Amino acid sequence: MRACQYCRYANREGFFFCEDCGQPISSEAPAESPTKQIDQSLEHYEWRTSYGTTHFQAGAMIMLHVLDHPTPIVVRPIEQVIIGRKDTDNRLPPDIDLSPYGAAEKGVSRVHAAILRTEEALVLIDKGSANGTHLNGQRLIPQQPRVLRDGDEIRLGRLVAHIYFTT
Amino acid sequence: MSVDFDPYAILGVSPDASEEDIRDSYRRAARRLHPDTNQDNPGAAVQFTEITAAYNLLLNYTERIAYNQEAKQRPQDPLAFSLRVTPSKRNLFPLTESQVVYMLAEILPDPRAEAAQEEIRLQTHLNLTLVLDKSNSMNGKRIERVQVAAHKIIDQLSPQDILSVVAFNDHAEVVIPATTVMDKPGLKARIAMLKAFGGTEMFRGLSAGVEENKKYLAPRLVNHVILVTDGNTYGDQEKCLALAQKATQEGISISAMGLGDEWNDKFLDQLASITGGASDYIKTSRSVVRFLDEHVRSLSNGFVDRLSLSVAPDIGVRLESAFKLMPNPQSLSIEEGLIPLGNLQINRITSILLQFELPANMREGYQAIARMVASGDILSSDQQRFQCLSDISLGVTRTPQTDETPPAILDALGRLTLYRMQERAQEALEEGNFVEATSRLEKLATRLFQLGEGSLAEQVRQDAKQVAFTQTLSAKGRKNIKYQTRYLLGGTAVMDEHEEDA
Repeated sequence: MRACQYCRYANREGFFFCEDCGQPISSEAPAESPTKQIDQSLEHYEWRTSYGTTHFQAGAMIMLHVLDHPTPIVVRPIEQVIIGRKDTDNRLPPDIDLSPYGAAEKGVSRVHAAILRTEEALVLIDKGSANGTHLNGQRLIPQQPRVLRDGDEIRLGRLVAHIYFTT
Repeated sequence: MSVDFDPYAILGVSPDASEEDIRDSYRRAARRLHPDTNQDNPGAAVQFTEITAAYNLLLNYTERIAYNQEAKQRPQDPLAFSLRVTPSKRNLFPLTESQVVYMLAEILPDPRAEAAQEEIRLQTHLNLTLVLDKSNSMNGKRIERVQVAAHKIIDQLSPQDILSVVAFNDHAEVVIPATTVMDKPGLKARIAMLKAFGGTEMFRGLSAGVEENKKYLAPRLVNHVILVTDGNTYGDQEKCLALAQKATQEGISISAMGLGDEWNDKFLDQLASITGGASDYIKTSRSVVRFLDEHVRSLSNGFVDRLSLSVAPDIGVRLESAFKLMPNPQSLSIEEGLIPLGNLQINRITSILLQFELPANMREGYQAIARMVASGDILSSDQQRFQCLSDISLGVTRTPQTDETPPAILDALGRLTLYRMQERAQEALEEGNFVEATSRLEKLATRLFQLGEGSLAEQVRQDAKQVAFTQTLSAKGRKNIKYQTRYLLGGTAVMDEHEEDA
């Protein structure tokens, strides 16, 4: 399969023009495993009632707890932290690679979302992912930043994780 | 069964091959083409019959001697055609999923034909039947223009050509029974008496037309029926298609010209396509004369008729679609095994784009894709039936060299994609899925803008708007998009005049 760069429609290998939008398909990159489309209607989530602070201290770190995985991922907040899944090709892996957490199975895109650091807060941006990014159960509009709070639940495709600020 | 092709070429053996060689070669081909292993593959069945006939002929001693002697008496090296097949990729990468490959099949007229074109034109004779709609809706300008067009056709024909004219409404009337074109003023007078009234029952007209055509049906002639209509026929479409199917087998092709906006384009396209004929949309009655004139000219320009292509994909490979790019772009039906392609003109290539699906997990080495056979009747030659064969296989390797996609294929695909997008938009429209139809039309408009087709893009954008707001699209709008994107494929649009009917 080869995803169209314009509309993400999954075309069979060998097509030169996207079946959906008619745009030419690049033959440069080798075939890639596309982001799995998942059925979103079956999902249930619980709404949170209390929220943590938005204040992100100068020396703090981001801790990401992937649901059902004991060890958290800890990263230092650089200007932009890309969350996604490493692909089979030689492309640069994302800053937070979720492939060990079953990312492909759960519908995480290669470049799914990003955490941006502003002066005293963190914001989450969906990078136009195939299955969407949810923040506390609400779906983000692609490319529109939302402020993160300590303890927020984020969902990338069907992969659920909690974000904590640690000092 | 008579064999009207070269049995040696079909089996790929030399004229002095031993019986053993012939058996070997037959077995190899039969294993591939046998109907048991090719259940969904009508093209293989056609080819299997041919190799079997060739095999039976060559293994029969007396028949073989007789064939050889007959072959010796034939003129050496007659004008013919050749088949050239270009794949979209020469080397494939073995994938764990299925993949698509395109083949451009081009049937090229003999290069010597152009030099001899005067002579060929003198030898190409038409057995032409006009089936004219004279229902009430044709009244006024339309019937007048059709009459003028018919007069012009009569002027164009020579005394060796045969013409018949049938007019129909609820009934069919044989206006001119099949005759040689000697008394031109007399024939014209009969056409001038046509009056338009009544309903449209196409089957009556078409079957009377085919009957007239059959009177002079001959393999040395271009046997062709031209249907001109401006309306829909109800309830007898299936009968018309069955009639067309039968006419094809007998060697008659049918072209359909739709006048105005009310006729059923899908039906007429299909009717023409199953016989190898052309179909066209004539927007205003002013253009009728030119459309018909050019069509008849293209018929007299042919030196091969009843051209057809059979495609037998290999095991695991599937032929998904076929589209004729030139001349008269149209979607081709692949259900019958033998794809009729009409005539081959002296100086125009007939080209077809084929889409194949290849299996997953191909082994490295060579993958056989398909065997294609082009055949046709050469009008000026005594040998008549001629065939060309091409076996296509591609390399499968984990380290494919990046080869350039042939520009001709890329170019054709780019434009075919537009036509397909239009088709899918129309499908969505028919299903009543207006959201999808709007989005498909918008995508088509975007793509047309990018390709510099500004005015058509603007038109499609307006149509998308119309669908979004009113949930309908006029018959005129639908035909416009369809035939305009189709003209992009051929590159030779017959420009329609912009004046509307009064």
